[in-house]
Amino acid sequence: MSPVTLSAPRQVGKPQPALPGGYAGQLLRVDLTKRKAWAEPWTPDEMRELIGGAGLGAMILYRETAKGKGNVSWDHPDNRLVLGTGPLAGLPVWGTGGLTVVTIGALTNGPTSTQANGFFGTNLKYCGYDAIIVQGQAKDWVYLYIDDDRIEIRDAKSYLGKDTWETQDALSRDLGLTGHQLSVYSIGPAGEHLVRFAAIQGDYGHVASKNGVGAVMGKKKLKAVAIVKGTKALRAADPRGLIQCADDIAHDLKTDPSARSLYEYGTLPGVVNLSKMGALPIRNYTTSLTGDVDMKSWEAPRLREGFDHRGHQCNACGMHHCHMSVIRQGPYKGKIVDEPEYEGWSGAGWTIGATDQSAVAWLNTQTDRACVDVNEFGWVIGWVMEGLEKGWLTKQQVGFDLKWGDVAGADRLLQMINRREGFGDLLAEGVKRASEKLGGEAAKAAIYTGKGASPRGHDHRARWEEMLDTATSSTATMETGNPVHQTELGLPARINPFDGVEVAKLVAGCRGRRAFEDSLGICIFTTRTRLENICRALSAATGWYYTVAEAMRFGRRTAAINRATALRCGLTPNLEVPSFRYGSTPHDGPAAGQAVSAQWEKMVDTWYKEVGYDRKGGKPLPQTLKDLGLDWLSKELWGKKA
Amino acid sequence: MPRRHLIIGGGTAGMNAMRTIREEEREPSEITLVSAEKPYSRMVLPYYLDRSIAEQHVFTTSAALLAQWKVKTHVGRRAAALDTKANVCTLDDGSKVEYDDCLIATGSSAVRAPVPGADGANVHSFWTLDECRGVIASVTPGSHVVMIGAGFISFTILNSILALGAKLTIVEVAPRILPRMIDDAGAEVIEEWLRAHGVTIRTNVKVTKIEDARGKKRVKFASGGDLVCDVVIMATGIKTNLEWLKDSGVRMNRGIIVDDHLRSNVPNVYAAGDVAEGRDLVSGQPALHAIEPTAQEHGRVVGANMAGKDVAYKGSLIINIVEVCHLDAASFGAWDDAKADTVVGAKRDRSAYRKYLFTGDRLTGAIIIGRSGDVWTTNDVGMLKGLVQTGVRLGRFKDYLKAHPFDVKTAYIASGTAGTLLPETVLGRPAKAPGETPVAV
Amino acid sequence: MKVLKITPERCTGCLRCEIACSYVQVGAFQPAKSVIRVSPFEGHTSYAPYTCTQCAEGWCMTACPVGAITINAAGAKDVLDDRCVGCKLCTIACPYGTVFYDASTRKAFKCNLCGGDPACVHACPTAAIEYEEVATRDWLHDFAAERASHVLATNGGRR
Ligand SMILES: Cc1cc2nc3c(=O)[nH]c(=O)nc-3n(C[C@H](O)[C@H](O)[C@H](O)COP(=O)(O)OP(=O)(O)OC[C@H]3O[C@@H](n4cnc5c(N)ncnc54)[C@H](O)[C@@H]3O)c2cc1C
Ligand code: SF4
Ligand code: SF4
Ligand code: SF4
Repeated sequence: MSPVTLSAPRQVGKPQPALPGGYAGQLLRVDLTKRKAWAEPWTPDEMRELIGGAGLGAMILYRETAKGKGNVSWDHPDNRLVLGTGPLAGLPVWGTGGLTVVTIGALTNGPTSTQANGFFGTNLKYCGYDAIIVQGQAKDWVYLYIDDDRIEIRDAKSYLGKDTWETQDALSRDLGLTGHQLSVYSIGPAGEHLVRFAAIQGDYGHVASKNGVGAVMGKKKLKAVAIVKGTKALRAADPRGLIQCADDIAHDLKTDPSARSLYEYGTLPGVVNLSKMGALPIRNYTTSLTGDVDMKSWEAPRLREGFDHRGHQCNACGMHHCHMSVIRQGPYKGKIVDEPEYEGWSGAGWTIGATDQSAVAWLNTQTDRACVDVNEFGWVIGWVMEGLEKGWLTKQQVGFDLKWGDVAGADRLLQMINRREGFGDLLAEGVKRASEKLGGEAAKAAIYTGKGASPRGHDHRARWEEMLDTATSSTATMETGNPVHQTELGLPARINPFDGVEVAKLVAGCRGRRAFEDSLGICIFTTRTRLENICRALSAATGWYYTVAEAMRFGRRTAAINRATALRCGLTPNLEVPSFRYGSTPHDGPAAGQAVSAQWEKMVDTWYKEVGYDRKGGKPLPQTLKDLGLDWLSKELWGKKA
Repeated sequence: MPRRHLIIGGGTAGMNAMRTIREEEREPSEITLVSAEKPYSRMVLPYYLDRSIAEQHVFTTSAALLAQWKVKTHVGRRAAALDTKANVCTLDDGSKVEYDDCLIATGSSAVRAPVPGADGANVHSFWTLDECRGVIASVTPGSHVVMIGAGFISFTILNSILALGAKLTIVEVAPRILPRMIDDAGAEVIEEWLRAHGVTIRTNVKVTKIEDARGKKRVKFASGGDLVCDVVIMATGIKTNLEWLKDSGVRMNRGIIVDDHLRSNVPNVYAAGDVAEGRDLVSGQPALHAIEPTAQEHGRVVGANMAGKDVAYKGSLIINIVEVCHLDAASFGAWDDAKADTVVGAKRDRSAYRKYLFTGDRLTGAIIIGRSGDVWTTNDVGMLKGLVQTGVRLGRFKDYLKAHPFDVKTAYIASGTAGTLLPETVLGRPAKAPGETPVAV
Repeated sequence: MKVLKITPERCTGCLRCEIACSYVQVGAFQPAKSVIRVSPFEGHTSYAPYTCTQCAEGWCMTACPVGAITINAAGAKDVLDDRCVGCKLCTIACPYGTVFYDASTRKAFKCNLCGGDPACVHACPTAAIEYEEVATRDWLHDFAAERASHVLATNGGRR
């Protein structure tokens, strides 16, 4: 397959092959330096090869961010911020409002691909675009306004300093649009102040959180993207088939034992389930015991019923997952919050020793509004709390005392981080940089990967597959994730989670699925059906005949391209290690004594062998690339000879 | 029970009355229709003008249907006099029709500005089918049309003139367009939109003369340069068709004075539509609306009463909507009430404009302008009508609406407007579909 | 007559009904052409769908100057495309705001209960819309009044 070149000049007047169904057919290119925006068509061939979202973004990043032999850094004007969606977005398949952010991120200074849902993809595609590619840097703060063919780069001064919810409130008011008539994805004060783990939040509660994508947006001085619900039509090659397939997916999600709890309670059951595995991160990994907390009250139904909760679903979604909650009691009574995901309960809760549910729910929304990655927030605050407890941090340094579980104090620190005030300035660099700066005991207590990525809110010392995945990833978050139906890929249903070789084989075997899913404009949770179903939906939408094999091959192709970009950014295999604390051995709880460090090398070796990458240099091997149809990349990585 | 009904005028009001008589009557009656024109709907003429429909489409009934309904027709005949003592109507050919009760629904006609040349060749009015045919014959692609008067009627045919490929100039004596439908600020939004769509507008100009100029027309003004064009359309006003009733004893001002059953001072003579000064829903005062919905409701109420039912009429709401080049402008009720408590909302970049007029905590008038493809605008158009029509008390939602003029639905629903409306009907029963009218036996 | 029974407490604002309805209207997925519309009633927390009540008066139907709106087999007021001239009188006559206008076809369009098999009902994942033999009523009023009063009292729970 020849490389697609997105920037290739189009032949005017040449008849274009028919647009595959599901696509809007145009990319929206925004140059903030020049303060210009224009639509670029893309071809059906490019669509088939790159799909959209993660796949499209990976290619754009690879093609457009090279600088000499290296790569532009996250804060360079030539960095691209790709806000992509995919062919399923806006269609009746559950959870199809998807946004995938692809950019060179601020934490690892390497590529990232991080997704959120809401109505981004819906509104954007009905305006006529499959993705937004932002480049350059604005002189003054701006926001991007999209209303069908009307694209404007507008002054954003009056929204500056507002948190993400306030920004959306204000834009809705100013534009006179209510509800989903307007979709807004914005950064909060954290992004404005280039906090390295700043995130992008949209439509009240949907966060693309990884690798400081909010800082990239902040560096570009782009406060928000406001998309009016477009008026254009999306067609499907086989609309009845698509509706049928959507129903089949819904049926799977409702009835499959592994997806059903997600259907009913979203990620809420995670807290109790993970605590039983020793994978709930408690007090910055200092323990794996839940102590005297009544875990019954953390069962999903009680967790939800504790609030006046209201469905707040994404496009066409029937999962009982996203909710808005009104806090019933306590100091935050009456506040409207986004029902925390599992990661909110851990990052804004257990990780920092907080277990008052109302307070955690409130703090979690504070992080969304501020707007930072709640996982890194947990690792940062937990680390500070531990330091103050153990004395390697002092009250004077921090500015005030902070004990485990102090939610108000954590919020105070969040606001300091947001605006880079006092100690917050150091913390805004993320826990890796902050701890390295302080050194000593402080350095040993911080949780991160060698590349600088923040692990998600688990105690991965009891979930090796995720630790391996996070550490070896080229995109600063799990590249693979755990699929629901791994047997569909010829993998065993169960493995010994503490056997490094089995773990590595599983992770390598699932590789590709995530990138495929993140290219479709669909939610990470509504894809927890068989891949077969997702492929059928894609086929019905586009008119392609898309198979599971092609999906996996596509995903691995995307991963290989990201790997090439990551290497150019200096993210080499020697960095593929957990930090001291992250890779330590739990001393209590269900996984006590399981030492990942003992098997780490073997695990990584196996992974490399399985994925067909070069263990030393990190590059995908020529044969691997050949098998993936990436001969052009092989040439670029290995030279002509290969 | 009156056995012989006479309907004079086969326009909107007349046809609705006739249909309703057939729907409501318990025993078959005789109906006679006298109409100067074959029944059609005037407001459909603009769509015939640009040929988006065939001429056939404007007619509201057919000879066959009238025969089915057992209606005696005198089409092409005018009523010339009414003897309310003898219950006899004399037609323009001298023939006479006796009746037990009768409906006057003779509508209105266009009036031209009294300037020299106003009745010359290629100067048209646009009110009747004949006049429409005249305009069709003279407007060709590329011709230049000058429309005198920037009122509602001009605007209803504006799209059609453009669709015919003509160049359009609108001249208006008032300082702005649509003086009787939209306020100043709203008119500005529409003017801006029209200019952007290639329509020339000259306001504040008084036409003094229309001359022939070598096959063309020259329009002269009290001040400012002449306009040379191919066709002139005068949309300078209308008057009610009531001269023939001079000596009938039916009491009238500009229109016929009626009670809440739309009866005139003569108990077996009703009036409906453009000629009736029926009750205005918002003010409660008699008013001449000259709009289609009022004619329809009048016609239906009169029909029911003629069929022996006792239907009192609550009054009609003035509602107008016009679309120009895909921009909708609508107004409701007392939209120009200077005493009202008023709030304005504007989204300049979307050409959206709102004005709400409150009396106490009720909405008594509204103006709305927005792009016609925008379903949310259309949603709001209807809901504003509902708010004015029901006069629900908005309570605290009045302030909400003032603060959020573009979020009508919340105020509309939270104040129970839909619930107030659901039991409401004009005739005290569900309406029947057009095809459902029982035929007389 | 079977009507669309709406239980607003169940609605999550997912807009699947709009997508499904638009597919019935225009054969493509285009919510801008849906005749059921979902709106928020408390900031962004409380949504409910809204469409034609098939009201007894049928203001749209009686207003139509060319008799283009009739009653179909399901009892719904239905626009006949070949009769409709696009004059919009129905859009302002309907006091519920539930007749729409398609600028591309120059026709009015509205809910016709899909002829008796409503697509929105099938589409709604939470059964917020059901199709039942019940007397229609103002399904949203109490819900909207309660939720919206929260907005008025606390500005949506913010600050
Ligand atoms: C171009 C145009 C566009 C319009 N657009 C709109 C619009 O968008 N919205 C709106 O609400 N309204 C509109 N109107 C106004 C609307 O058409 C009238 O208000 C409505 O037709 C009034 O109905 P009517 O029955 O009272 O009178 P008409 O419909 O005028 O009917 C009167 C009938 O009486 C007959 N007649 C007259 N004199 C005699 C006589 N002496 N003897 C016997 N028969 C007689 C006439 O021939 C005619 O058939 C428009 C009008 C025109 C001309
Ligand atoms: S569209 Fe409006 S007027 Fe027509 S039936 Fe529905 S609610 Fe009644
Ligand atoms: S019943 Fe059909 S036409 Fe009516 S709102 Fe539902 S999907 Fe739309
Ligand atoms: S499909 Fe159901 S839950 Fe979704 S927006 Fe419509 S009514 Fe609400």
